[in-house]
Amino acid sequence: MNKLLCSILLSFVSLQASAAIAVIVHPSNADNIDKKAIENIYLGKTKSFPGGEQAVPVNMDASQSIKETFDTTVVGKSSSQLKSYWSKKVFTGKGTPPKEVPNAEDMIKLISSNPNMIGYIDSSAVNDTVKVIGEF
Amino acid sequence: MKKKIAIAISTLLLSSSAVAEVHISGFASVVGGKVLDGTGVEEFDLGPSFLADYPLVGVYEEEISFNPDTLFGLQFSADLMDGLSATAQVVSRGANDFSADFEWAYISYEVNDNWTFQGGKKRLPLYYYSDFFDVGYAYTWIRPPADNYTWQVFNYTGVSALYNYLVGEWTVSGQVYYGREDSDDNKLLSEFFFLESTREIWKDIGGIVVQFNREWLDIRLTHMQYTNERYIGDVQQVWDGSTERKGKFYGLSVNIDYENFLLLTELNRLSLQGSDLDTYLVTLGYRIKDFTPYVSYSDFDDGEQGEVHNTTSFGVRWDFHPSAAFKLQYDDVEDNGGPGLKVAGDSQSISFGIDLVF
Repeated sequence: MNKLLCSILLSFVSLQASAAIAVIVHPSNADNIDKKAIENIYLGKTKSFPGGEQAVPVNMDASQSIKETFDTTVVGKSSSQLKSYWSKKVFTGKGTPPKEVPNAEDMIKLISSNPNMIGYIDSSAVNDTVKVIGEF
Repeated sequence: MKKKIAIAISTLLLSSSAVAEVHISGFASVVGGKVLDGTGVEEFDLGPSFLADYPLVGVYEEEISFNPDTLFGLQFSADLMDGLSATAQVVSRGANDFSADFEWAYISYEVNDNWTFQGGKKRLPLYYYSDFFDVGYAYTWIRPPADNYTWQVFNYTGVSALYNYLVGEWTVSGQVYYGREDSDDNKLLSEFFFLESTREIWKDIGGIVVQFNREWLDIRLTHMQYTNERYIGDVQQVWDGSTERKGKFYGLSVNIDYENFLLLTELNRLSLQGSDLDTYLVTLGYRIKDFTPYVSYSDFDDGEQGEVHNTTSFGVRWDFHPSAAFKLQYDDVEDNGGPGLKVAGDSQSISFGIDLVF
């Protein structure tokens, strides 16, 4: 019972800490990637980082609330606007939306093992296997 | 190249649930509607009707119907890696008694970050909404305004090259394409206009699309040419002593999506052997959270005493779910066609429905 209470309390704490989104890349990625570049990569407008290296964006699954926050604060569109943006591309053969992962652990695992990927997680989940290029 | 393979492998790992890299996605619209009041066209013995979808002859009448705009689409896309993919889209429409047909079937090769070559059967990207006409979720109205989307040919088989460049703040994208379409028993011409089996051939279809996009501004320019041949029954049509006639299409579309304000416009001209068929549309919308009310006006005019009609529409889109939208729309059609050139007469109609993507 105590354990349960503890974990509930802990989850409140982590909820409180979840104010910021950290955009992350592989530690070897030394590129200067600003918000506009992140937006362009996530909208499929470019397939490269500003420095010219190939960029592969990874999204969080739509069930994660961080996805919606990322969409509105970083990409600048509501989730349904984005859905409509991508459905236009997918069904006309002009592009595919970023792949999705179900949680922060998977995101970190992926980003830390691929120099071309870019993703985002709750700031509190950041560890030293990934590099934070911006917090929003 | 090595890097590309590495990325392809890691993306493959990402979708670990799929055995082969075949993606299935889809879209659906379930729409009902009815004509509230209409004149019909006496000389054709046509009762009150609203022609909501020209190419597929989606017609609403005074009895409520779910057939004209309801459709289901499934897309299968096989990623063959290294930039190569194969895609097929099967669409089942109420207007076609829900028979399932391959609307798209093409292979695609991504040459580099900027260019992709595609070959096969695709939608003809004539108007702004032509190539995603079936995906109601991707636009505001129940359907793109019927007065503009009137052409009997909407698919083609051929090749296209798609490009996409980021130039400073602008995205410059578009395509060039070439192909042909042989529509035997063309639905619109056979069932609605000539009431006799009509074979409509568009050959040497060649076109270009250039689109400029920057934050809230979107500008699309297009030009297309084709050569038309037609058989009504078994009789080949002759225009000015020739069995062929040339069509030239020009289109300009400017769209603004600023803050919550939405302005959609299209201006098109088809020059078909000396006569000009002009269409345009203007839509204004305003997003209030999940609701987007809109007003729209669209117009078709091929000259005095010719085919002349327009539609004024009011409606609202409600994004009630992350993957679905409810829409309600009122359409007031004015048919000012000359003798023998009315389409479906005046009408006032209501339609409502749900669009979703998955």
